[in-house]
Amino acid sequence: MSGAGPTVDHAGRTINTKPGEVLLKVEGAVKHFPIKQGILFQKEVGRVHAVDGVDLEVRSGETLGLVGETGCGKSTLARVITGLHPLTGGRVLFDGQDITNLPRRAMRPYRRDIQMIFQDPYGSLNPRRRVGSIIGDPYDIHEISKGDVRKKQVQELMEVVGLNPEHYNRFPAEFSGGQRQRIGVARALALRPKLIVCDEPVSALDVSIQAQVINLLDDLQKEFGLTYIFIAHDLSVVRHVSDRVAVMYLGKIVEIAPVDEIFQHPRHPYTNALLSAVPVPDPDRSDTRQRIILRGDVPSPVNPPSGCPFHPRCPKAQAICVDHMPPLESAFNDAATHDKACHFPVADGENLANAVPGIEQPGVAPTALQPSSKA
Amino acid sequence: MIPLNTPDELGVHAAPSAAPASAAPDKKIEGRAPLQLAWARLKKDRVSMISLGVIFALILIAVFASLITDKLIGHAPNVQYRDEPNGLQSNGLPFGPNGTFWLGTDSLGRDILSRIIHGTRVSLLVGVAATSIAVTIGVTVGTAAGYLGGAVDTILSRTMDVFLSFPFLLFAISLVSVYQPSLKISIFVIAFFTWASVGRIVRGQVLSIREKEYIEAARSLGAGDIRIMAIDVLPNLIAPVIVYATLLIPTAIVFEATLSFLGMGVVPPTPTWGNMITDSVSYYEQLPTFLLFPSLALFVTTLAFNLLGDGLRDALDPRAARVLARK
Repeated sequence: MSGAGPTVDHAGRTINTKPGEVLLKVEGAVKHFPIKQGILFQKEVGRVHAVDGVDLEVRSGETLGLVGETGCGKSTLARVITGLHPLTGGRVLFDGQDITNLPRRAMRPYRRDIQMIFQDPYGSLNPRRRVGSIIGDPYDIHEISKGDVRKKQVQELMEVVGLNPEHYNRFPAEFSGGQRQRIGVARALALRPKLIVCDEPVSALDVSIQAQVINLLDDLQKEFGLTYIFIAHDLSVVRHVSDRVAVMYLGKIVEIAPVDEIFQHPRHPYTNALLSAVPVPDPDRSDTRQRIILRGDVPSPVNPPSGCPFHPRCPKAQAICVDHMPPLESAFNDAATHDKACHFPVADGENLANAVPGIEQPGVAPTALQPSSKA
Repeated sequence: MIPLNTPDELGVHAAPSAAPASAAPDKKIEGRAPLQLAWARLKKDRVSMISLGVIFALILIAVFASLITDKLIGHAPNVQYRDEPNGLQSNGLPFGPNGTFWLGTDSLGRDILSRIIHGTRVSLLVGVAATSIAVTIGVTVGTAAGYLGGAVDTILSRTMDVFLSFPFLLFAISLVSVYQPSLKISIFVIAFFTWASVGRIVRGQVLSIREKEYIEAARSLGAGDIRIMAIDVLPNLIAPVIVYATLLIPTAIVFEATLSFLGMGVVPPTPTWGNMITDSVSYYEQLPTFLLFPSLALFVTTLAFNLLGDGLRDALDPRAARVLARK
């Protein structure tokens, strides 16, 4: 890593938010995708509730981890924040400015500040274009530089992310997955953004390469004072990179807390179940600990359950869970930074595997006391 | 590491990612564009290279048609030879191939070879011009429909459906009867009936390209629709469009021959393969070569373009199954 400091020319706006203050605020974000039928005259027959009322604050300089299973709306939330999908409802505030559904021209200055790193390093680079022109794209689109100046900037960027600047004229196909992801990082970094949304940036990579890319992101954060929203479904990666972690389930945030808090004192039953699924490297402990096995499938986001979205699968569900969505607030003696959305938060040491739901759940017998199978 | 035997063997199996490895150690490693790789693969396909050679020869013949007929053969295409040399036998029938008229004469005593050579001009001109127009319109409409989607897609796609549902010959005949038949009308009619098929193929390609993450990446950088279509979508259309255009040229040439055969194409006396075939049909019992040679010219040209198109498809998409029989 070059210690030469900021080598990349930056022409971004000045940001009022100081480190530690709220840089990005999402208020009641709702994103529904209509399901249409019909050939000539399309009729809306339903809606996918991808993001269903999310409140979120991201502080300048921090890394917010966003976890949840496939289809819970993590990526949609990322695309809503970066303005790739228009919001159905709610607001997104960046640096105190409302950037919800801005037209393209008005959005342009904010595009510089909010960038995205994509999941698939193979799909996110145009196979027909040379790497130099891919990384130089932001300079071209924002008319920052051209010709030799741009080439120099691009080569500096390539060096910053650990690529050989001489490979400027190569095609993406000539790079490995890890190198391609570095190209994606370089492109995201070109405009010197303040916030980078990383949409599962390492899940498509080899484990040995994952570490390299994570370390690179780490170094860049220190060097350029970046703020990350880090989406992943690998909890160990999230634990390593995040300052705070938000857990999503079916388009809603069910728990959000500083990283150590959430891993040591998970309050939401879903968070507990998620954490209990993390493999334990110690075989003795692995045998003795109790896996919380959730029953039933994730409900369809087309027709999400009433009240708390987790109630059809929750081992602690009661009648109130069916009717009311609990607010995000802290439980017990937790710090105010630890919020959960649950009527019956899990206490430390509580054994969830033996919990009995107080309501009838699809796919689960009312007295769910049968021994958990090793499914 | 797999032992690399010959660079030739490597080139056959090389996926684009293996490109740097194929350079010998003493050579400078250089990124090769996907199209350069495709060209390298095409060069190994003998059938394609022969077809390409035939097409180049046809282009040269078309460009230097007058030069060849005047200097080499000595017979102009539209001169009706009646005495010294006489293009007609004493009973009024045309000649078969002989020393003076190498491929014989037609019913008016004109040199068939000379007419075939000049006919190449019309065929290639119509083939290339009509295809260019069709591809330009088709790519534009198809890209817009596929990328913009929604109401734009519905309108443009239905328009393409309408164009594809016209009965070609009926429409061509009625169009020509309104305007006078000419080269321009032929080109226009052919392009008019083929652009929609290009548009459909392009739309399908764009629909899949549109969902790629690099399009999203471009949008997240703030790129506009026009820029994305031109810079990110179009380069990915080159391969299928080249293949389709190569296959469209022979179709257009046959269309033109059909129009000329029916008297709806290029007006006589301008020689075209189509109207030469028309002239010959009443003589095919007495003089089969009169019918044979223009048909052969048409056949060879169409075959060359079609085989080249097949080869291009293999070369541009190495993941598709290669035709193993070709070595």
